[in-house]
Amino acid sequence: MADLFDRYSGMAYSVAMRVVNDSAQAEDVMQDVFFQVWQNPKAFVSDRGSLGAWLAVVVRNRAIDAVRRRKPSDPVEDVVLPAATNVAAEVEHRTMIEQVRKVMKDLPPEQRESVEMAFFEGLTHAEIAEKKGEPLGTVKTRIRAALITVRKAFQT
Amino acid sequence: MTDGRHISQEDLALYAMQALSPGESAPIRVHLAECALCRAELAEFTGDLALVAMSVEQQPVPEGARQRFLDRIAADAASTQPAPKSVISIDSPRPTRRVAVWIPWAAVAALLLVSVALQWRVISLNKVLQLQSTQIAEQTAANARAREVLDVLTAKSAQHVLLTSAKTPPSPTARAVYLPSRGALILQASNLNPIPIGKVYELWVIPSSGAPIPAGLFTPDASGSASVVLPELPKGVPAKAFGVTIENAGGSATPTAPIILSGAAPAAGE
Repeated sequence: MADLFDRYSGMAYSVAMRVVNDSAQAEDVMQDVFFQVWQNPKAFVSDRGSLGAWLAVVVRNRAIDAVRRRKPSDPVEDVVLPAATNVAAEVEHRTMIEQVRKVMKDLPPEQRESVEMAFFEGLTHAEIAEKKGEPLGTVKTRIRAALITVRKAFQT
Repeated sequence: MTDGRHISQEDLALYAMQALSPGESAPIRVHLAECALCRAELAEFTGDLALVAMSVEQQPVPEGARQRFLDRIAADAASTQPAPKSVISIDSPRPTRRVAVWIPWAAVAALLLVSVALQWRVISLNKVLQLQSTQIAEQTAANARAREVLDVLTAKSAQHVLLTSAKTPPSPTARAVYLPSRGALILQASNLNPIPIGKVYELWVIPSSGAPIPAGLFTPDASGSASVVLPELPKGVPAKAFGVTIENAGGSATPTAPIILSGAAPAAGE
């Protein structure tokens, strides 16, 4: 378990920090997720995606829960990744992470903003539409387009 | 929300990032329970979000976090051990022989159970870690191999030699390797004639049906060699043939005659 923590705590803490922007709260989120893995290792289905990618999504979801001060929205078992081809171990490679950053940076600003508001700030699409003064459909389309762009960048 | 049978991609993306209201999420959750197709698409979006999450700037883990975590799981492990039922005062009457015999055995049995449970957890986590390590090692090896192939194919210093019958003068040739399912194409050309200034060679994928698809521009080096590696192409388009034309710099949307090189594609290999 210590090995697991050593390998993934930096990434998990960074994701939590990006959402909650508070060191103590980010550590709480990270600790809780690792503790859940300790208590229930079978929550992660190891033949579907990488553990690092799975942890990234679970930590993000728990961090959003913490920001919204609500009970955990879904059990961690509900987070399922695609089979280990695209997101798997390769993304844990530093060069691949750099590539994701570049893809995100190169997204049209309005797409990137919509994804970041939904994913890192935990806003609903209705809240984003209201904040940006744009139709709901536009927000939905932008978020989908941004994620598809990220996906395609790794489907070579 | 749905196209009649399935959840739209837009809503699945929002569902994956929990950006829908509870009222909007509920019918999607019901549909997902029954629809493997939508579950697979949701998993794809979750994978996309994992990439987004992992792209955040790395922050140093707070000092002592590791020890706090290890202390917490140690405390959890300890808490699963049965606590003594009561403290026996030295003034209390001596327990009967029957109680004295059973307490140690019960404690041993409880400790054995705890030990087995902890061992099972350790084995489960080790299995996960080992699988991940294997996947990373395999991926790293595959990446290194792919990089090596690409380096050889595209290195300017690489020697490109075409072996032909001794009596045949060298003529322009090209070899295309195409994987339709991925839209992946690599072309290696040799003995190309020098190209006039303001002109470029353009590669075309000629699909079984429909118009030729532009697949990259190239100019030969001094030895007449050139390559096109993984140009932007749509996926899943079977090729009937490939062709090379000469176009104005910047390329063309449609091929201009004459076709300098062409080759029919054999039946798809996958």
